[in-house]
Amino acid sequence: MLKNYIKVAFRSLNKNRIYALINILGLALGLTVTILVFLFIKDETSYEKHWDGYERIYRTGIKADLMGQKMDAPVSPSPMANALRTEFTDVENATRIHTINQEILMRHEQTKVYIQNGVEADSTFFKVFNYEFVHGSPDTALKEENAIVLTEESARKLFGDKNPLGEVVNYDNRRDFIVRGIVKEPQGHAHFQFNMFMAQNTIRNVWMSNNNYTYVKLKEGANFNAFQTEMRRNFMKKIEPDVEQFMKITVEEFMAQGNAFEYQLMPLKDIHLYSQKDWEIQQNGNIIYIYVFIGIALLVILIAGINFMNLSTARSGKRAKEVGVRKVTGASRKMLIIQFLTESVIQSFIALFLAFILVELFLPGFNNIMETNITLFNEYIGKTILFALLVTLVYGLFAGSYPAFFLSAFQPIAVLKGDLTKTKGGALLRKVLVITQFTASTILIIGMIIIFKQISFLHNKDIGFKGDQVIVVPIQTDAMTENFRNYKDVFLKNSNVLSVTRASYYPGDTPNQNQFALEGSEEQLPLWNMEVDYDYFKTLGVELLEGRKFDREKESDSVPYYILNETAVKSFNIENAVGRRIGNMNLDGTAEYGNVIGIVKDFHIEGFNQPIRPMVLAITNNVWFASFKIAKNDMNATIDYIENEWNKLEPSHPFRYTFLDQKFGALLRQQENFGTMFLFLTILAIIISAMGLYGLASYTAEQRTKEIGIRKVLGASVPQIMQMLTKDFIKLVLIANIFAWPITYLLAKNWLTNFSYQIDMPLLPYFFATFLALIIALITVSSQAYLAANSDPVNAIKYE
Amino acid sequence: MIKLNQLTKVYRTDEIESTALNEVSFEIKKGEFVSVMGPSGCGKSTLLNILGLLDKPESGSYQFLGEEVSHLNEKGRSNIRKKNIGFIFQNFNLIDELTVFENIELPLLYNKVPASERKQRVNALIEKIGISHRASHFPQQLSGGQQQRVAVARALITRPPLILADEPTGNLDSSHGNEVMELLCELHEAGTTIVMVTHSPHDASYSERIINLLDGQIVSENKSKLTQAVI
Repeated sequence: MLKNYIKVAFRSLNKNRIYALINILGLALGLTVTILVFLFIKDETSYEKHWDGYERIYRTGIKADLMGQKMDAPVSPSPMANALRTEFTDVENATRIHTINQEILMRHEQTKVYIQNGVEADSTFFKVFNYEFVHGSPDTALKEENAIVLTEESARKLFGDKNPLGEVVNYDNRRDFIVRGIVKEPQGHAHFQFNMFMAQNTIRNVWMSNNNYTYVKLKEGANFNAFQTEMRRNFMKKIEPDVEQFMKITVEEFMAQGNAFEYQLMPLKDIHLYSQKDWEIQQNGNIIYIYVFIGIALLVILIAGINFMNLSTARSGKRAKEVGVRKVTGASRKMLIIQFLTESVIQSFIALFLAFILVELFLPGFNNIMETNITLFNEYIGKTILFALLVTLVYGLFAGSYPAFFLSAFQPIAVLKGDLTKTKGGALLRKVLVITQFTASTILIIGMIIIFKQISFLHNKDIGFKGDQVIVVPIQTDAMTENFRNYKDVFLKNSNVLSVTRASYYPGDTPNQNQFALEGSEEQLPLWNMEVDYDYFKTLGVELLEGRKFDREKESDSVPYYILNETAVKSFNIENAVGRRIGNMNLDGTAEYGNVIGIVKDFHIEGFNQPIRPMVLAITNNVWFASFKIAKNDMNATIDYIENEWNKLEPSHPFRYTFLDQKFGALLRQQENFGTMFLFLTILAIIISAMGLYGLASYTAEQRTKEIGIRKVLGASVPQIMQMLTKDFIKLVLIANIFAWPITYLLAKNWLTNFSYQIDMPLLPYFFATFLALIIALITVSSQAYLAANSDPVNAIKYE
Repeated sequence: MIKLNQLTKVYRTDEIESTALNEVSFEIKKGEFVSVMGPSGCGKSTLLNILGLLDKPESGSYQFLGEEVSHLNEKGRSNIRKKNIGFIFQNFNLIDELTVFENIELPLLYNKVPASERKQRVNALIEKIGISHRASHFPQQLSGGQQQRVAVARALITRPPLILADEPTGNLDSSHGNEVMELLCELHEAGTTIVMVTHSPHDASYSERIINLLDGQIVSENKSKLTQAVI
């Protein structure tokens, strides 16, 4: 019996190739999107799961509200890890790291290599994160003061193929380390990726300063909530003396002023998708993308499913006779339902096969856009296949169920007599389905335009500085830093070097945050603290609003001078800020106050999902990143010139540079990638919708062949016929827009709240999407209508 | 075998009621070959559909093989249908996607006959109706007469005690029509009960008895000429 069903299914597909193609291709594309989204989600949720006992590992952090300045950061003080290890019965181990944000020049004998993503780590690091050791032991590798552990790749760069255990490696011309371990690159994703680990076991017993990341691994069976409560209680006690010394008030008084401060624990496995804070080790993913992609996959599958249902029921007239014959020869309704479901499931599985091929074809492009490294045939291919099979089966049963029940209910006498009036049912449902389909497509079109508008808005937003033609060069030696101001003229000799400066941070970095106080006031405010050299504002094109810029002639090196940004002035809530004195608080509660000499217009340091923070810029000679504004013409020659001169001044370290606008642009890249992916998925969805509409239109035209013939005999013109056939579909598309607009409005409003800077909800995309949907519907439907309207009326009338 | 008593069928659309069968009563015995004749719209096909359990009467009684069937639901009717009744249609109603062999085999599939037996029975029947060389062809590749013979074979394959034929020669030329009628006569001789709706007095002359319908009522019942001649 099943064999018979399958046989008929294949013959029927072969006979109706166009419709089979629309169904199968549409579904294949839908499944392709679904599988890609599945793989993406699998990849995004796989973070940290390769660590032993990852469910028991947490990252500590702080959450504070200081004078209205909210702070939520994954950082922690130096003594915390040790306290966790020694004072809590629930803790299996804890470790502390301090990341190094710069490439470091490493040297072994004659080999010099820049290695990035170095980290200073407690000796317990490898007890919390179980890297696999090729040489050495996780128990002892970071015990000694001068110990270093390298990944296999870093070791290969420095030592080639020889076993480096016990070898000496020089760090940045400053100190020597001895290699005490070689580890393999971890097999899974993590929120950090380190290439070398330097021992760091000294503890600075200050609880107010948060310069580390701390990870704690709880014992098996430990109660998280109890531990967290105990941890907060314990650590608030520890910070109390520091706060009293620093703020001159007790913690109770501090809280009573409306401030808040709390220690946090974040599960390691949640970091990648749920942690988008300041001072992350690297840019994490975002759960929102996962939600959006799941939404798109559902919409695309829905659209493809509707194609299937619509085309099957539209074609029902053709299948009606078969249903009648089967019924009179003894088929029960159940048997017919099984038969039609078998057909839809078969189509679904052909589509599934195609989908796997398409996924394999699309994956390189997908990886390219999303900056992922996903493969189809990975360690969870079994799960992928199982998931795809399940989706396919559910889809086949769901999409097939309506036609199956619809067709199997035909009364055999009616259909066998060729009386098809009774089989024209389902027209209303078809309309509803087309409306649903176009609602989904329109949502995607509007959504896509709004996403692109927002991204382009961010792109073109006044970021407050001009990052083009600015290259940033890290300074590597004390001597270079010491004497840099005297070297500036060397570079400026080239007339294409327009300006030279230095700064501790540039847009694209996250600066340090320090407590600042107004002289004569008890209130303190956390400010982003940027240390800069002369000509900083000139080089970056930052606009001065009030007062003056830093000026070597007017300043002595022994007193601090400060410039505030607009937001800082607002946060201090002061008028006539220029001339006031502020000070960077020392941990003992003292401060050295200095004059505020100017106010600059706000400029962006972080990405646009963060608002501009209050910031102070201080002049100092002790800054480590030089930058050059260069002329547009002969850029390469100018950079060569700078490199040449630089290498003479700092011969120990090869010259390296980055473009400032690229660095800042990277902050937007995740959003851009997301937008591009959304665009592709939307196009796919539109194609599938249009295919379905095409099929439906051609059937409608076919169904109305006789009517068209008669109308033509009676004098209807081709345009009149086309109008008649097109009108109904246009109506459906317009109704779909009525649904799509408010839904998209709500979704888009929600998405935009992710940004500190949002476009005003534009109306144009809504009209444009409606227009686009209409055009697509018109083109697909009218091509069919045109054929029908131009056919010879005699053929049409003979049709019966 | 068939006993109708006061059988009525009314078709309703929104406003119009039309009586297709008006208190029809008759009996058909096992092994009879009966023709139903009458002008278009007289209720012939309605009668045949009700006899074939494809449609339900409005009122009255229908006893099939001694069992009252007028109140049965579709499932119950379907059960009786697939075991006892074979249908032959004017427009053949073969399934285009199935071959000759598969079309004939279909009722056996629905009656859950094992594969080996199906093969043997279908082949025997194809042989008998003389289209074994066409067994793997599709219906569109056959002439009208051949298609109707396939349709007859399909009606016969379950060896039903009753065959209902709705203008079986209506779409055929006279020589092909005669072939089909002869096939029906052979069946009749073998003991099958046949009820045939027809316009053609020639075809009706093959049967034993003719029921004439007009406006949903039986106007006359008479022995066919052939039978009369024999008598």
